[in-house]
Amino acid sequence: MEKLIQILTECCPGIDFANETALIDDGLIESLDIVTIVSELMDAFGVDITVDDLTPENFNSAESMWDMIQRLK
Amino acid sequence: MSFTSVTYIVFLVALTVLYYVIPKRCQWMLLLAASYVFYCCGGVKTVVYLLFTTLTVYAAGLLLGRLNAQRRSLPDGADKARLQEAIKRRKKAVVAAACLLNFGMLYTLKYWDFTAQLLGRALNRSLPSLGLLMPLGVSFFVFQSIGYVIDVYRGKQEPQRNVAKFALFTSFFPQIIQGPISRYNQLAPQLYAERTLDYDKLRDGIQLILWGFFKKLLIAERAGVVANTVFDNAGQYPGSILAAGTLAYCIQLYCDFSGGIDITRGTAQMLGIEMTENFRRPLFARSLTDFWRRWHITLGGWMRDYVFYPLSLSKPFARLGRWSRGHIKGKAGKILATSLATFIVYLLIGIWHGSSLKYIFFGFYNGIIITVSLLMEARFVGWRSRLHMTDDSRGWNLVRIARTCVIVFIGRYITRAPRLLTGLGMLWRTVTDFQPSALVSGSLLGLGIGVMDYVIVICAVLVLVLVEYAQERGVHIRQWLAERPAGVQFIAALVPLLLLLFCTGGDYVPAQFIYAQF
Amino acid sequence: MTAKKWLGLFVAALAVTGVIWAGFNVITDSYGVFGDRFLDFYSYDMTRNPRVAKIAWLDEHHDDYDSYIIGCSGSSSIPTEPLNEAFDANFYNMIMYGADLLDVEQTARYLLDNYEVKNIVVSLYVDNAIEYNVGEDDINSRLHAKVSGKPLLPFYLKYLFLNPSYGIDKLKSYFSDTDMPQVFDVFDVETGAYDKRLRDVEPIQTLEEYVEQPEYAVFANYPTGQYGMTQIDNCVKSLTAIRDMCEEAGVNLVVVNNPCYVDYLRYYSADDLALFAQKIAEVTPFWDFSFSSVSYDPRYWYDKTHFRNSVGDMMAAVMTGDESLYVPEGFGHYVTPETAPDSSDYAQDLRAPEDSYTASVPVILYHHLDENGEGDVTIRTDNFRAQMQAIKDAGYQTVSPEDLYRYVYEGTPLPDNPILITFDDGYSSNYELAYPILRELDMKATIFVIGVSVGKDVYKDTDYAITPHFSWEQANEMIASGLITIQTHTYDFHQWPLYEAEQSTARENVLPLAGESEQSYIAALLPDLQRARQELEQATGKTCFALAYPEGQSTKLSWMVAAKAGLDMTFSTRPAVSTVIKGLPQSLLNMPRISVDDITAEELLATLADAGA
Repeated sequence: MEKLIQILTECCPGIDFANETALIDDGLIESLDIVTIVSELMDAFGVDITVDDLTPENFNSAESMWDMIQRLK
Repeated sequence: MSFTSVTYIVFLVALTVLYYVIPKRCQWMLLLAASYVFYCCGGVKTVVYLLFTTLTVYAAGLLLGRLNAQRRSLPDGADKARLQEAIKRRKKAVVAAACLLNFGMLYTLKYWDFTAQLLGRALNRSLPSLGLLMPLGVSFFVFQSIGYVIDVYRGKQEPQRNVAKFALFTSFFPQIIQGPISRYNQLAPQLYAERTLDYDKLRDGIQLILWGFFKKLLIAERAGVVANTVFDNAGQYPGSILAAGTLAYCIQLYCDFSGGIDITRGTAQMLGIEMTENFRRPLFARSLTDFWRRWHITLGGWMRDYVFYPLSLSKPFARLGRWSRGHIKGKAGKILATSLATFIVYLLIGIWHGSSLKYIFFGFYNGIIITVSLLMEARFVGWRSRLHMTDDSRGWNLVRIARTCVIVFIGRYITRAPRLLTGLGMLWRTVTDFQPSALVSGSLLGLGIGVMDYVIVICAVLVLVLVEYAQERGVHIRQWLAERPAGVQFIAALVPLLLLLFCTGGDYVPAQFIYAQF
Repeated sequence: MTAKKWLGLFVAALAVTGVIWAGFNVITDSYGVFGDRFLDFYSYDMTRNPRVAKIAWLDEHHDDYDSYIIGCSGSSSIPTEPLNEAFDANFYNMIMYGADLLDVEQTARYLLDNYEVKNIVVSLYVDNAIEYNVGEDDINSRLHAKVSGKPLLPFYLKYLFLNPSYGIDKLKSYFSDTDMPQVFDVFDVETGAYDKRLRDVEPIQTLEEYVEQPEYAVFANYPTGQYGMTQIDNCVKSLTAIRDMCEEAGVNLVVVNNPCYVDYLRYYSADDLALFAQKIAEVTPFWDFSFSSVSYDPRYWYDKTHFRNSVGDMMAAVMTGDESLYVPEGFGHYVTPETAPDSSDYAQDLRAPEDSYTASVPVILYHHLDENGEGDVTIRTDNFRAQMQAIKDAGYQTVSPEDLYRYVYEGTPLPDNPILITFDDGYSSNYELAYPILRELDMKATIFVIGVSVGKDVYKDTDYAITPHFSWEQANEMIASGLITIQTHTYDFHQWPLYEAEQSTARENVLPLAGESEQSYIAALLPDLQRARQELEQATGKTCFALAYPEGQSTKLSWMVAAKAGLDMTFSTRPAVSTVIKGLPQSLLNMPRISVDDITAEELLATLADAGA
């Protein structure tokens, strides 16, 4: 989880990933960032994230992203 | 039937009354009937295209739904993975077929004549042009329907089994001319719901429609005359007048398009249906990316979900990204793959607007600026901190807004000019031969509208900017108004009506939508 | 406030808007349907839609009229005045743009049913045989519901809830309206005809010059076409209905077939034209003006299908038997079934008549004479004598303005090689030096005097010495000789700025001052010309009808003012030979004059020859 927060902060500096729960809904991260995040995550955790996984629910918080990664592993 | 015609108002009033009077289970059927009546007013023959899309996409939805069900009900077993793969292939085939049929139709209708011309020139012989009748809003219903197919493919959406209900989704009249491009899960359930009259929504809808009329009739009509005059005779004006004409076109385009969307959403609201916003005050965009998130939002969203994501997450792109991160240093390496996908998206948006080289150029223009701005981001931040401005300081925001306006403004030269070269030439003259004196020497009065019209346009645009600024600051104007005394509210209703009555159309001909041809 | 309440409020606002809307349309009344009580600007309303506005206007004013001319736009040129005299009636011209015979029939029926009527003139045009019951419901060409018999309520509602842009346009026009006819008020409300005050004062000279002007270029290259007369039966039906209505009501019916430009007539086959004439004659005898020498000369035409008012005057003269007015040979036949032309009459390609209805008249211009030729625009006395002798020897015969006037209006022949000799300003030298020579050689001349300078040797109201001017006594002495005509050079529109108290408002000529409004210009020029005329007529006992524009300069507006002041013949200083045309009073306007100074007699003759005399 710490590794995840670190990756996220590198991609999009200045966002409080630990506590935000509406990253997508509030427009904090946008489509370009999502693609960067997804590719970083795939490299870092060795998972395959597809378009079908690109739902707001999966990306609204660091925690939900963590859950998604666990699910896909 | 133009939104700004008396016929439309009569149609809408009659429909609204009927809608709330008839039995609730018939409401959606009334909407379907009304939608087809509306569509037929724009040409009976072109209904076949709408029906074609409706039926093919409906069938594709059913097929995909069945395949989805099969996939879910596969028994656990050794060859489950193999079977899943087989089903997925069949699903892909269905989607491909639906896309091919519908985009093929769209291509034939919109771009065949253009292609034939280009090809003909290349092959040195003339290919026949088809001269087909352009159906109203064909791009909109095709995109909207394909979005539905993909949603069903992804398993996010259960297919609609009632063909009539599905037909309502593709033909819903307020949006058919110029969008917004709605998502099935957002719009369709609302269309089929049974509704009782909601006074709040009725009021909101009426107010929104009035606001749309205000933008279209008071501003866009007049600004459009100026823009047409300037662009039709571009050769005979100095740079300053060309710039004024382009500014007029920016104003016209925004007011006409967003005004039309206001009427669309207002109409739907009167029927109790909430449609997605298509514009969010693009004037206040802080970057070109931000602009595209505020301008024609539903098209951008469609492109993001159905083109950008699948493309940038596809295997080739993932490989490209991994390679570039390893081989190219710094930011450029990181963003290469995404930038390429961005480029493709803007190219598609460009092509979506029309079949001409200038739209392809326009796509490149946007793609390049967005990529460059990504690469330059660090430098911008450096400049900013040297100027002692923070990220959200007012000064910095103004600079960003102005910068975005200029970029968009330049792009409009290209899209409005009859040809790419004409647009570039006009741009060149604006820079090299500005002649600011032409702005005060009375040339402006030779552009088709009179002093009174300029006064009306300028005042109305000021009102528009003030209102949008207030909205941008989070002020709810309508709510604020609703708390005023009755007298004030009466005046606030009467004045716009009188303005619309007395300041509309000197030529007595209803305005046509610019965007309807896209 | 709840939404429900707001909706109530909104409906109230809509209602108020509706009332304001209707109120605005009733007040501005762009089509006159509500009686145009507030602006009383019927010339605008009729321009919008003559069919509707004329009926609305007549509903208020039909007591002033008892006879009507009905037809399409050509009918406008049929004048009411001579018909009023001949029929002892008060005619109103009901011309409607593009009227077909159903429009005419319905209008006639409305007039007969609702007003007191003595005479009806139906004016036909060949077009009537190709279009019938066009049934145009366009706002600018629909019939009044009272005439067409359509329901009244929807008709009035349309005008009540008309696009306010119409009313705004009318208000704009109302406030920018002037004395001159404008594009938005082309009708003369009192007669119902087009207001041609401006159009009818445009000078007309040679055919070549005429077709060179952009608005008449169409005649140089007349479009070709072919029309079949498919509606003759319907025309007969409507005309029969009109005839029977008139008979029943004891109303005198006159049917006229309007003149037609020859190239337009060729759109139709000779068989069709003959059949049309025959069929009409079977319903009622009629006056046929469709084909004559007028059809050949574009100068008789406002445009490719509309003949001039002066042609209408000739038509009226034919119909009323007025022989004082010139009428071309073969213009107007009274057609009965027996005398109807057959197709061979139309088929033979009639050549344009001999050019016998026009004449070239050089007009030469002198100012001052002096024994030694001192001063500007001055000629030595002996040289003047030599020039006069040379002119006479060359076979020129001097004529008076009245001779030209008679030629144009009455067709009175001119002598061979006519020439008009004129003097501007009225200097004493004309009396002392030129007059004896002219008397000796028995030559006519015309002197244009500046009213305020007559008999003066100092500039008016000052002591500044000027070249002396002859007196009224001297003028009368010259007139008594029968050789000299005295006409006007304005009363005081030929000022010397240097001698005027206020130089900037000095009137050197009849052009408006810089920035002068139309109204104040007319208010200055019209009384000046009227005074010049009055004093001249009082002093000489002769009619003053000719004006030489000071410095030869003029504008459209001055043409109109001169016509209003009764000056039907005007002169410029454009160096060319004048052309006068029978039946075309405009050929007497702004006539060119060749200014002559101290050149030799041979040079003068050469100049005249060069100018084409």
